[in-house]
Amino acid sequence: MAEPNRRMIELVEVGRAYTRADGQTVRAVDNVSFIVPEGEFVCLIGPSGCGKSTLLQMIAGLVEPSSGAIVVDGNEVDGPGRERGMVFQGDSVFPWMRVVDNVEYGLKCRGVGAKERRSVARDYLRRVGLAHVERAWPRELSGGMLKRVAIAAVFANGGRVLLLDEPFGALDYVTRRQLQDVLLDLWEEPGRAVPTVIFVTHDVDEALTLADRIVAMRAGVIVDDIPVRAARPRDTDSLLLADMVAIKHKLLGHLGLERALARPAQSESAA
Amino acid sequence: MAVSAGSMAERAGGRTGASPPRWLWPGRALAALDPLRLAGAALFLALWQAASLFVSPIILPGPLGVFQRVAADFWSAPALSYFGLEDASLAGNLLYTSENVIIAALLGTAIGVALGLLSARIWFVRAAMDPVMMTAGTVPILIAAPFLLIWFGVGRTSAVSLVTFYVVVILYICAQRAALNLDPIYENYALTLGADRRQILGAILIPGAIPEILGGFRIALAGCWGLEAVAELLGSQTGIGKVLEVLAGATDPQGILATLLLLGLTAILADGVATLLIARLAAWRAPAGSGA
Amino acid sequence: MSVPARKREWAVSVAVFLALIGLWEILSLVYTAEAQPGEPMIAGWGTLFTRTLLSLSDYWQGGLGVRSVADGAPRSYLAAILSLGSHSGATFVRLIGGLALGGVLGLALGLGVSWSRWSRRLVELPTQFLRALPLLAMVPLFQLWFGTYFFGQVLFVAYGVGVIVFAGVVNAVRNVPQIYLDNARALGASRAQLYRTVILPAILPAMRSVAFLSLGAGWGAVLAAEYLGAQSGLGYIIVYAQQFGLLDRMFLVALLFILYTSVSYWAIERLFARLLAWSPAEAAR
Repeated sequence: MAEPNRRMIELVEVGRAYTRADGQTVRAVDNVSFIVPEGEFVCLIGPSGCGKSTLLQMIAGLVEPSSGAIVVDGNEVDGPGRERGMVFQGDSVFPWMRVVDNVEYGLKCRGVGAKERRSVARDYLRRVGLAHVERAWPRELSGGMLKRVAIAAVFANGGRVLLLDEPFGALDYVTRRQLQDVLLDLWEEPGRAVPTVIFVTHDVDEALTLADRIVAMRAGVIVDDIPVRAARPRDTDSLLLADMVAIKHKLLGHLGLERALARPAQSESAA
Repeated sequence: MAVSAGSMAERAGGRTGASPPRWLWPGRALAALDPLRLAGAALFLALWQAASLFVSPIILPGPLGVFQRVAADFWSAPALSYFGLEDASLAGNLLYTSENVIIAALLGTAIGVALGLLSARIWFVRAAMDPVMMTAGTVPILIAAPFLLIWFGVGRTSAVSLVTFYVVVILYICAQRAALNLDPIYENYALTLGADRRQILGAILIPGAIPEILGGFRIALAGCWGLEAVAELLGSQTGIGKVLEVLAGATDPQGILATLLLLGLTAILADGVATLLIARLAAWRAPAGSGA
Repeated sequence: MSVPARKREWAVSVAVFLALIGLWEILSLVYTAEAQPGEPMIAGWGTLFTRTLLSLSDYWQGGLGVRSVADGAPRSYLAAILSLGSHSGATFVRLIGGLALGGVLGLALGLGVSWSRWSRRLVELPTQFLRALPLLAMVPLFQLWFGTYFFGQVLFVAYGVGVIVFAGVVNAVRNVPQIYLDNARALGASRAQLYRTVILPAILPAMRSVAFLSLGAGWGAVLAAEYLGAQSGLGYIIVYAQQFGLLDRMFLVALLFILYTSVSYWAIERLFARLLAWSPAEAAR
């Protein structure tokens, strides 16, 4: 196996500015820099409007930065591509294709042969628990099932970087918890290089369950960068560990949800 | 749904203070006239002019000539009286055509909406009228024109009846659909607040259906002009259709283009007025995307 | 709706239909005026399908072993059927030719213009204007340009359909939800693949209403063209008969025409039901 890339995703003074209808300039993202090593699972968390989704869209290549540069795996980002797979918050599954055709789509674009891509697609559908609805139309599936299809499609496409923009935000609590497990299963799949993940959310528990590292944003800038060292697999009790609770208080403070001042935090070195 | 650039700006900026006034239509109108669109219109005219230079004026008159003709013939076109037209001006004939269209549109809307709303709520009306209306919706209403000409003779009545029938069918289908598609949540909510059936009809059903009905009115109005013109072409002594027929017989493409231009502008103007009225009457509706 | 309610509705519809048929028959017995000897103004159903039908053989030009009435041959059902068939054929060819030509050109140009952001805005104002010009009023113009030749009429229909399809395609491509485009690109689709696998299927639901609008405009255009100077077709028969006040013939041919248009709408509906099997809106219909 090749040496893991310590600078898999690198943001250098990235900014994105808009001009509002009344002429004022708004900086959705303001001079953000950070580095993500290969294989790390990073959660981007912050209140509404903090710029986390904009930042993710820039890494994906769907939005162009106004300033700065984004380098992924040694190449500067210039538009979307399959090396940076993306799972969206809304329903992105194509309604005019059956489930299995959706999962195959990326492979088909690349020119992979019919038999091979069908077997890869079936494999991932099995892994996300949807083998029985292979031939169904998307309109026949629930929101949670559609999300599984989207995840299967992105993993089947085999990118080294995975970007998720509040993917479970529109789902109910139970489905959300199930999909978190599905995601981690696929992420930790043995026998292939571990993808680098950036996961945007505003759910603190979700971030604590999933991430190796949590980056908090507010008003377009990064305000905190916290490593999460709890062992995997994490369960409900993992969230009750002392250092996890401390992190949670910090994050709630960044989100503006702490009523009293946080207790003097255990020293966590911020980047 | 995916995040577009516009909404990102709003999310990034957050909510700060008062939003600009909604009734900002001068600004919106100006935005609609952005340079690229204007350039497109100018390019179209330039291509037309260029084409007219290569082709004989009998086939394609140039835009400048057509515009001048519109201005010249608008109030007075003596040549037209030579062909037996009562009114020797484009304006006069346009007035006749417009009168017919407006009468037919209003009459047809009144009848069509009444029938449509009734059919949505009274199953008997629906069962009786639907087969007739749905069939009429598929066949071009023009099929009735020769019959009307025989029954009512040449003149206003046959043309107005034809266009009225057209409007009735469209508005019937529209009103019925609007009433049926009204989200039951509004009626249920009103019931839990203690409203009775009559109050619901007046305060919920009719206002709720109005936006879609007015949309149908706009669509119907757009089709009225052509239908009226053909009715006049088939048998009339006056009106834009008659003017077109006369000019075609005299092999006058410039005149025809000028008349068509005028008719088109009238249709656009009428559509604009209708849109403004609709915006006022249905102001509560969330703005739909621009473009028909 | 419950089954008994649906049966009730159906019963009323059938009753109304039968009542209309009966009313017509009663009218024909009451109002016995004749435009010409043997050609009643309001022909009862019996007369319609015998004498009136026979009289339609007047419109058969002759050929295929059946001589035309103008040449002295007697009227016959065969000649009537042949005349109806050939004139229907002329109408169909105008319609289908115009739909195909206008549809293909409108689609191709619409997709082409949508390729870049600039071209779409460039053509917007001229397109809106052409769309606002009443189609039916342009018959004299097309007659001036193309005479009353058959192909000119096909071009007229094609123009009417083309403008609708073009505007519809441009609008539909513009309204393709951004999330599908983003998703496809993030999965690695090229521009061409994007058009073929995402944009074309995504505009199909909008194309359904465009198809119905085009069909309506197409039939209207064909009828207008045939009323105003064609030498063949069902519209031509109607207008020719109108000049002699032969209401019964007009009525019979009009009935046939209504049958054709209804069938065509039904066919398009079935076609799109299959093409849109995947769409939630279609499932709700």
